[in-house]
Amino acid sequence: MSPAGTIELTVDGKKVVVPSGTSVFDAARMNGVAIPTLCHQQNETPVGVCRICVVEAGGRVLTASCVRPAENGMVVNTASPKVLAARRTLVELLLADHPSPCARQQHTGDCELERMGMHFGINQPRFTRKSTSRGKDESSASIAVEFDACILCDRCIRGCSEIRHNFVLGRMGKGATAGIAFDNNLRMGESSCVSCGECMVSCPTGALTNKVVTGTAFATASDAAQVKPEELEQLPVFKGVSGTFLSLNRGAVVRRHFKKGDVICREGEYGSSAFYILNGKAVVSISSPIAHVKTHGGAKGFFSKLTSALAKRDEHKREEETSQQVIHIDAPMDLKYGNPVAELGAGDLFGEMTCMSLYPRSATVQAVTDCTMLEMLRNVLDIMQRNKNFRAQIDKSYRQRALDSHLRGVPVFASLTDEFISSLRDKVELVRFAKGQVICKQGDVADSFYLVRIGFVKVSQKHPGGEMVLAYLSRGDYFGEIGLLKGDVRTATCTALDHVELVRISGEDFSRMMDQFPEIRRKMEAVEQERLDANRQRLSLVQSVPLESFLNQGLMEAQSLLLLDLERCTRCDACVRACADAHDGITRLVREGLRFDHYLVATSCRHCRDPLCMVGCPVGSIRRRNSLEVIIEDWCVGCGLCAQNCPYGNINLHPFEVTIDDPEHKGRKKAVMRRKATSCDLCTEHAEPSCVYACPHDAAHRVDPSKFFGSVFGVAPPAPPKRVR
Amino acid sequence: MKIDSTHRKWLIASLVILAGSTAIYVPYAARAPHGPSGSSRVGLGFGIAGFALMIFAGLLGARKRVPVWRLGRAQTWMRGHLWLGFVSLPLILFHGGFHFGGTLTTVLMILLILVVASGVFGAILQNYLPNVMRVEVPFETIFEQIDHVSAQLLEEADQFVAAALSSEGALAAPTPERGGVLTEEYVTVSLTEALPLQKFYEKEVRPFLASPAKRGHALAESTKSRTMFQGLRTLLPPALHETVNDLEDICQEERQLRRQGQLHHWLHGWLLFHIPLSLALLLLGAAHAVMALRY
Repeated sequence: MSPAGTIELTVDGKKVVVPSGTSVFDAARMNGVAIPTLCHQQNETPVGVCRICVVEAGGRVLTASCVRPAENGMVVNTASPKVLAARRTLVELLLADHPSPCARQQHTGDCELERMGMHFGINQPRFTRKSTSRGKDESSASIAVEFDACILCDRCIRGCSEIRHNFVLGRMGKGATAGIAFDNNLRMGESSCVSCGECMVSCPTGALTNKVVTGTAFATASDAAQVKPEELEQLPVFKGVSGTFLSLNRGAVVRRHFKKGDVICREGEYGSSAFYILNGKAVVSISSPIAHVKTHGGAKGFFSKLTSALAKRDEHKREEETSQQVIHIDAPMDLKYGNPVAELGAGDLFGEMTCMSLYPRSATVQAVTDCTMLEMLRNVLDIMQRNKNFRAQIDKSYRQRALDSHLRGVPVFASLTDEFISSLRDKVELVRFAKGQVICKQGDVADSFYLVRIGFVKVSQKHPGGEMVLAYLSRGDYFGEIGLLKGDVRTATCTALDHVELVRISGEDFSRMMDQFPEIRRKMEAVEQERLDANRQRLSLVQSVPLESFLNQGLMEAQSLLLLDLERCTRCDACVRACADAHDGITRLVREGLRFDHYLVATSCRHCRDPLCMVGCPVGSIRRRNSLEVIIEDWCVGCGLCAQNCPYGNINLHPFEVTIDDPEHKGRKKAVMRRKATSCDLCTEHAEPSCVYACPHDAAHRVDPSKFFGSVFGVAPPAPPKRVR
Repeated sequence: MKIDSTHRKWLIASLVILAGSTAIYVPYAARAPHGPSGSSRVGLGFGIAGFALMIFAGLLGARKRVPVWRLGRAQTWMRGHLWLGFVSLPLILFHGGFHFGGTLTTVLMILLILVVASGVFGAILQNYLPNVMRVEVPFETIFEQIDHVSAQLLEEADQFVAAALSSEGALAAPTPERGGVLTEEYVTVSLTEALPLQKFYEKEVRPFLASPAKRGHALAESTKSRTMFQGLRTLLPPALHETVNDLEDICQEERQLRRQGQLHHWLHGWLLFHIPLSLALLLLGAAHAVMALRY
């Protein structure tokens, strides 16, 4: 007779006494009998889904020992031939549904299922392997998901819910289509997953693994000291970050000490890390001249020579040049147009866009006192940005320091009062979106207004012929006002092109703002009308020339093409020479490109309707006018990303010599080369682009393609090539 | 420059000048006791007008040197050059009363005729050849890049053949797509089966691609080339036909580049004759004017 509160049973011929309520699995384990299992972990509620732990317990069928409570007098056999045969079959069945070797087995050789298969001597399961794939999810910066390797043991789900209380993971689907899912079946990177790493640690196979990406650790450098995970956990900003993850990403955070005067990063340079200031101060500035490339001369006299030089916007006003007074950079504050310098201090994080989306640095940061900073790679920054404490700190800093300038930096909001901004301070919400995630959908009810804080947003509209991109928005831009002002649904779909952070203002606060500031409402309505008109105009153009090849060549995307009539062009290159002469010897056109009908579409800025060149500009200096022409604002830092992004190779970098303070010799100046991006400016100084003007054979034409080709193909009444200014 | 209906105004203006000049010349020639002379008032007038038109026509070269100066659109200058330059010939003939005169004037007249004739020849070429180039050379590139592109084609052809004949014994013949991307399809071909390809490449294709300046190669003619490649296909297993197609495409592109070079020389080569003669004409014309007016 067993003592009260206990039960006595026999396990593999041995009598054991365990507390009542103990499972057969635990009863065996407590008495030194190990029952193999895949789905069961001691720190998680047993669920009995893998059935590997089956035992004979006297019943008609085998029972899963992890969920079967031990009973008084029960006789358990954990290794009878029947049990072993059943277990082997189960392992074979699971292996047939599992890629072998999976990612985990390949990297660390400890996939529990495959090791169990080896234990049973299973080289090849008798059952046909599954031929279809359930796919992968690479959206998280730190965890790779391979659905094919998942055996639906639910350990990750229980780890997420029971251990970490995050409740992100669950099950989706039934039968053969069943699988794990994040939130409402979102991709992991787009879900509310905080990257704590518990699921990955719980997973017995290679379904959830630490992402092996290049650059997960800094190369050892003399000025950098690796920070141990234990040290990081002591820092307030890392509070709550999973220690497991920090261990797995060892080397992805380094502590750097900078002396006064050291340059921490330079504008235009490529990088992959962000900096968090632990102590000390630094200045962030733009050292490139705040000016644009201006072509001088020519128009005022017959014989004056053309030269290119840099001009500020108050010296040379261009059509529809922005009047914004701030330059948006990859730091918690914006810079002033007239004096692009600001100070960073302890607790500030900068370089987020460079780190998350690998964009060039938007500004130069230099230490003004001795500083200590943590430099981190994307995997760690991603974890931190999902960490509630860190987010709270960054959000607080943004609300206190940057919301004001961010809102006022948008010309239409320049007249907002301090009181109103203060009232907004605690109401705005900072929201993040992963690459590819839809922020709002065309047709949805409009409930919020958004300001772009970090990243790029694509605005597109669906039409019967397909999707048409209306705009790319970057830091400082806003969207969502049309639906709110009209009290209607969203007129376009907005999608995150990379890591995007937005300031969300609720519909109620937006309405309050509009009621309180009628002037802003008027301006907003004017912008709304402008945008709607531009969209309508584009749509009418798209519908006018329904030619497949025309679309295939991307000509429909262009709104101004340099066409060379190949039946007239004698290949004398007068156009190229004229362009070079007009731009200090640097041509902005190449007499080569695609052919359409008897025209050559020369390599020269097309002023695309879908201007990919604008995606990624770290300071948002390339944009288009309402007339859709591309304009490069004064604060271009010459990083060259726009030139790389242009699919037609139509953006050039124009070198200029400028004088700067010599950091090595205080008080002295030195000449350095700086670059400014340039694209075809249509020779705005003149009545006609130089390439067209200089063509002696009447072969070069700057045309609006839809109108021009529309007339060529008889869609519209025939008309001579119309020059586009 | 393509001479089409847009030249109508220039044609009419030239005809008006010509008709007016003829209307002046015919009664003047009929009434002159010793026949028309360059030194008479009317003859001198024709000479000055004709020389002025020549100078205007000659200024096109200077205009082209400053393409961005706003001195009038280049095509207007070109049209003026064509039509007014052409009209200068009858005016000078009126000036000399259709006589060539002394040595200098004879030389000048011959030069003028040559300049106008070469100009007309050039205009005819530039009227037709651009379209010929468009039709015959779809793979047209920038003229200065032709040698570079040819070298790239040779390199590409080497790679295709090397890929087809790679490894020893049993050959894996990956079929590289244009641009050097290997496809997933691998077909085993024996070395003996691939031998005709190797021979053909070394004997025909490579020499053709490697010596763009050499004339008379069989592959330089598209009909012969097609026949040769067709013959080669019959000797090879289907797995190598894709490589043969690629080589044929490369040869075709090379032929087009050579054709482009030829057409380019035709389009601009005549200028080597026209421009020096024009300069000589203007210089000697100026000398003639000074001498005639002074003495």
